[in-house]
Parts: sequence; C-alpha cells; structure tokens
Amino acid sequence: MNTTSRQRPSGERPPGEHDVKGHAFRDGIAAGAEEPAVVPQAPARRLTWSKLLVTPAVLALVLLATYLWITNIPLDPIEQNSLGGGNVRLRLWQQIQLVAISTFWVLIIAIPLGIALTRGGMRRTAPLFTAVANIGQATPAIGLLALLVIWLGIGPSTAIVGMVAYAVLPVLSNTVAGLRAVDPQLVEAARGIGMTGAGRLVKVELPLAVPLILAGVRTALVLNVGTATLATFGGGGGLGDLITSGIQTQRMPVLVLGSVLTVVLALFLDWLASLAETVLTPRGLEA
Amino acid sequence: MSFWSYLSARHEQLLTDAFQHASAVFQCMVIATALGIAIGLVSYRSTWGGHLAITSTATMLTIPSLALIGLLIPLVGLGVPPTVIALTLYGLLPVVRNSIVGLRGVDPALVDAAKGIGMSRSAQLLRVELPLAWPPILTGIRVATQMLMGIAAIAAYASGPGLGNEIFRGIASLGSANALNQVLAGTIGIVILALLFDSAYVLLGRLTIPRGIRV
Repeated sequence: MNTTSRQRPSGERPPGEHDVKGHAFRDGIAAGAEEPAVVPQAPARRLTWSKLLVTPAVLALVLLATYLWITNIPLDPIEQNSLGGGNVRLRLWQQIQLVAISTFWVLIIAIPLGIALTRGGMRRTAPLFTAVANIGQATPAIGLLALLVIWLGIGPSTAIVGMVAYAVLPVLSNTVAGLRAVDPQLVEAARGIGMTGAGRLVKVELPLAVPLILAGVRTALVLNVGTATLATFGGGGGLGDLITSGIQTQRMPVLVLGSVLTVVLALFLDWLASLAETVLTPRGLEA
Repeated sequence: MSFWSYLSARHEQLLTDAFQHASAVFQCMVIATALGIAIGLVSYRSTWGGHLAITSTATMLTIPSLALIGLLIPLVGLGVPPTVIALTLYGLLPVVRNSIVGLRGVDPALVDAAKGIGMSRSAQLLRVELPLAWPPILTGIRVATQMLMGIAAIAAYASGPGLGNEIFRGIASLGSANALNQVLAGTIGIVILALLFDSAYVLLGRLTIPRGIRV
C-alpha cells in the first residue's frame, strides 16, 4: 500500500505557477522548503441556495436602483441622446456578443492546443510557451488592442482578435497545468488495463483536469468582459462606448449607467461560470 | 518618422511618463501591501473572516477596470485620485489572498514553540509567522504589480499619469504618421517597466527571505 500517494487536490497547480484572475497564485519561490499545510478546504462544492440566490438578488437590486435613479432625474439633450433610442440596449447587446464570440474562440484554440502541448514530443516546447505567456501577461491590454487597430483597422473584429489573443494564454496554461497535475500513477494504471492513448485522455486525464480547465474558462470570461469594455477604443462598440462618452461629455448619468451595466454583466457572467464549475466538476473530485 | 528617431525626439516626455507610471504603480502597491497584509492578519485566524476577505477582494478583481474608474469619477473627479484608488483596490486581492494562505500555512508547532519560549503575541507574529509567510506574500505582490502596470495604462483615460497617455495619444491620432510610434512606445515602455519591477522583486526576495526557508 502506497502511503505517499498524493493525488493533488483539485485546483492545485505545480509549484511556481500562478495566475491572476483565476486567483491560483500561491507560492512561487519557497514551495519546496516547507510544504504548506493543506489550507482549510475550499467551500463545499455542491449548489446551495445562497450560492444560487445571493449574487443575482444583489445585482438585481443594483440594477433596479440605477433604473429608478436614471428615470427620476431630468436628462439634458446630450444625455437623452446617449441613453435613449435603444442605444443602451444596442451597446449591451454588442458587449454580450463581443464576450460570447471571443470566449468561444478562446476555448476552440486554447483547450486543444493545451492538450497537444502535453502529448509526446510537443512537451518540449512548453517552456517556450511559458516564456511567451510571461511577456504576454506584462503587455497591457489597451496597448495590444491599439496595436491591432493600427494593423487591422477599426471595428468589432479587431477587438475580438485582441480579446482572443489576450485570453488564450490563461486558458492554455490552466489546461496544461491541469493535465500535468494528473497523478502519473493513474495514467500508468489506465495504460496497465489496456487503454489506448485516446482512451486515457478522454476517460482519465481530461475528467481529472476538468476543475483547472473550468477555472481557466472562467478566467477567460472575466478577462474578456474587461477587455470588451476597451473595444470602444477600436471602434468595436460595447458598453465602453457609454463610459467613454460619459467621460468625454462630462455626463455623469451616462458614465454611471455604462459602468454599472458593465459591472453587473461581469459579476453575472462570473456567477454563471462559478455555477458551471460547480455542476460540471466530476463528483469523484469533490473535496 | 522611424521608431528610433521618434524615441530620441521624445525621450524626455517618454521618460517622464515612464517615471510617473512606475511611481504611481509603486506607491499604490505600497499602500495595497500594507492594507493587504493588515487584512490578512486580521482575518486569517477565522474561517469565516478569511473567506469574506478573499471573496470580497476577488469580486473587486472581476470588475472591469474602465468601469471601476468610471464609477469613481463622479465621486472623486478626474486625474490622480481615481487612479490611486483603483490601483490600490486591484492590488489588494493577490496580497490578501497570499497573506492568508501564507499565514495559515505556518506550522502550528512553530507558533507553539514561540509561545513556549515566552514570546508575546506580537513577537510571535513579527518574528515567526510573518517571516515564514513572507515568500507567498511577495509572490502576491509580484503578481499584483504586473497587473497594475496594465490597469494604470487604462487609468490614463481618466487623465491619470503615466505611459497610458502615450497609448491614448496614439489612438486619438489614428492614421497619422506618429500613431504607431506613440502606441509602440507606450506599450513597450510598460512591458519593460513590468519586467524591471519583476527582477527587482526577485532581488528583494533574495535579500528579505530568511535564509532558513530559502530553497
């Protein structure tokens, strides 16, 4: 009986790796010196009423308060122009489209690439990707977007290219980290009972890596909502339009409405992703 | 105008912007570190408090930076105040989270030993727990600084200081000959600053991590 079999708790990544918006950054330097005692386990994974209700209720209240405020103050012509005529609905819809399309492409690109990078000979290229990822993290999103606008011209598709480029790396590194963290003994056991390479991947490795991959997806979603706000600087529309025109014309109702809608959308999508994480994590991996 | 002649023609402006960028990020990071470690110290002993601290700072990080700045402008106006507040708030999460994880990771036997040799509660914290928790906290500071570099660029839209101004000047003059130079100078400047800060943290780690727990 092997007493040291340490199946990594879901969500743990190899020492030295860290992430920003997926919040998995622990230790980077002295991981080996003193194995940190297991932190009191993450909150229970199953759906609870509070998890289902609190966030949407708070967000609904915020929306209601903003709506009441906006409809009860006198608006001058500039504000009416910015807020009336379905403009708000158009910007919100553009924002949702930007986020949905870019997240779709991020998943299509990053997850298969992550799987490929952990197979056979491709494994050796991983350090290269880590280096690119580090420099990529240091690049400001607005700078990347501006460069793309100069290169590809203005419009929503430029914004989407920028968002995808920006969000691919976290999902990619989470997928790679998730697949690497799978206990080699389990893969060995799968090989031992005669599973093929594809069988091991689909039935053993991917299910075990699901929590980390989903964390990466959530990260991508959050990053994309943030970057989608910047699309306005490249003529891509979205809620950023309301914020920037509010700042430029010094019209606080426009600025506040744009900001509140952006915040509510970001928190709502993050909440949806957290539900997905809860529901999609294989039961066997629950702490 | 080529990129190099642009750089030499504008180097004074660029250096001022770069200095302001670095100093804004640095100062906000100092505030965020002090606040973050304080929040960590207050909350790490209770499960409930730690959870609350991490959840609330994580929610903050989910909010797009342009929207947070947009919400701050009606309250504090344009310029430096919204920049400082936004940068400090965004810098908190990595520090808070890693302080809590680091402090909870300290071996209880060591704390017990410190108590046993007669150390007061504050001496236990300052001489045993914090030094042992310092490496993860420093990692948190590093991660936060890198993130703030990019957010500070966006804050320039609200008349904040720094290299973001260069990028926005480029965006405003799209199509002109200098647009690419301006955007490139701003972006590359920020990447360089981020890498410089990162190496400074590696050095700081060498100097401040107690010898006993160095790898």
